[in-house]
Amino acid sequence: MKSLKYISKTSAAIIAGSVISLAALFITGCKASQAVAAKSGAQLWSENCQRCHNVPSPSTFSHEQWETIGLHMQTRSLITEDERKKIVAFLQQ
Amino acid sequence: MIFKKLKHYRMKSTKPILYLLLCIISIFSRGNYLHAQQTVTDSALLDRISTLEQQVADEKKGESHFMVAGLTTFGFVASSANTISGGIGQKVRTNSMADADHYEFSPMLLWRHDKNVLLEFEPSFDGNSLGVNWADVSYFVTPGLIVRAGYFVLPFGTYNKRLAAGWIDKVAGDPIGVADLPPSSDFGVEVEGGLPMGNMKWSYDVALTNGMQLLPDGEIQNAGIVDNNKNKTVTARFALMPFSNSCLEVGVSGMFGKVGDAGSAYEGASTDMYAVDLNFVKNISPFLVNIKGQYNAIHINNQQYINPVDSSSFTFKNQTNSGFIQMSLRPTVGDSKFVKNLELAFRYASFKTPNESAWSQNTNSYDVGLDYWLSWRSVLKFTYNINNTGNTVPVKLGGSPSTVNTNSFYLQYSIEL
Repeated sequence: MKSLKYISKTSAAIIAGSVISLAALFITGCKASQAVAAKSGAQLWSENCQRCHNVPSPSTFSHEQWETIGLHMQTRSLITEDERKKIVAFLQQ
Repeated sequence: MIFKKLKHYRMKSTKPILYLLLCIISIFSRGNYLHAQQTVTDSALLDRISTLEQQVADEKKGESHFMVAGLTTFGFVASSANTISGGIGQKVRTNSMADADHYEFSPMLLWRHDKNVLLEFEPSFDGNSLGVNWADVSYFVTPGLIVRAGYFVLPFGTYNKRLAAGWIDKVAGDPIGVADLPPSSDFGVEVEGGLPMGNMKWSYDVALTNGMQLLPDGEIQNAGIVDNNKNKTVTARFALMPFSNSCLEVGVSGMFGKVGDAGSAYEGASTDMYAVDLNFVKNISPFLVNIKGQYNAIHINNQQYINPVDSSSFTFKNQTNSGFIQMSLRPTVGDSKFVKNLELAFRYASFKTPNESAWSQNTNSYDVGLDYWLSWRSVLKFTYNINNTGNTVPVKLGGSPSTVNTNSFYLQYSIEL
């Protein structure tokens, strides 16, 4: 019983470690196609913001405010980091 | 005679010399004046430059930044409720300003601590009490990984996390049964991220929280900041955007955990909940077409509950289903700014609680709305809602079968702060 418990814990640790490693590998290995990677901030702004709300006017917030809003919106919409940076750069113009 | 001539000559010759002297003095004086003026000007310029330098230094871009955003919603509602119970009908008409179900003033405090850390806090006043929608800290670890801790909106479907804000929602009210079941926020930790995958994108959102608490009548509520058992609840959502223009998003969610208080009769009670959500937004001339939907299925394993009439035990299949589908159309062509600011919205929502419970109901809700966008983040909504509810609580549990048909007109203004 004790050895079973030990094996069970070891197996669980191996499985958990494997899952985390695979997940990390998958997350870091994900890449956009060339066409998607070449999209401009303006295009990403029009495609992604309107998924939930109207596209925002760049004049609404200051440069610093757009940086903060960008982080907040990334947590809500789960856009990629690259998309967030490009959209924020466009809105700061 | 000679003397007189000499005197005359001296006087004649002195005049030009005097003029010359006066000119030299004048030139020198003018030079000094100009020099003094130049010194004054230089000093003023230096002061101005110094002030500007200070202003620039004050405006220096730092890593830390604090701002207030959030929203407020205010409106008017006029309702007519027709209740039919035991073959007898009763009509009640009401109107209210503000609309008590949807009024809120919720300033959101955002503090970007540095480029990787964001704190979010949203207190909310609903007319009766001051609550908190979320209070959490997020750490942006890598491009595809955000770690959050605190009190946050659970990743179960998309309505609560993305669409519930008044300035985002296309009709005045929330879809019944979706916005409040299961409880939308909880204490815990969360990992999430959005990642590219060729021409597609996918996202994950996994939370580990205190979870829910099962009540003696079979309903659930938030356990709160102190967990009611040793078990933690896992809530997860995975979503795929199959097209490169992000026009379609399909998500699946699940919530699993024990819901009974430790040491109570419900110690073994657990829940498994599922949700699917859909989001489609695309410009299909002459409209921007916006379709959203979510379906929730909430299940609690078999338990004995307390009859509120005689405190005896009874059981029922504790399964609650709710969902909504919504479509809105906004004109995108033409020269009229007024027409382009209009949006027509339709929504159907359904909410069905367990038949044999003391909180049994079966509701169908229909909304038709016309919105006028005053700006990209402020809207005036005219919504007409038809809500048909069947109260199906069994007589043995103190119920009295009835139907309530309510027609409501909403005039609502909402703005993002």
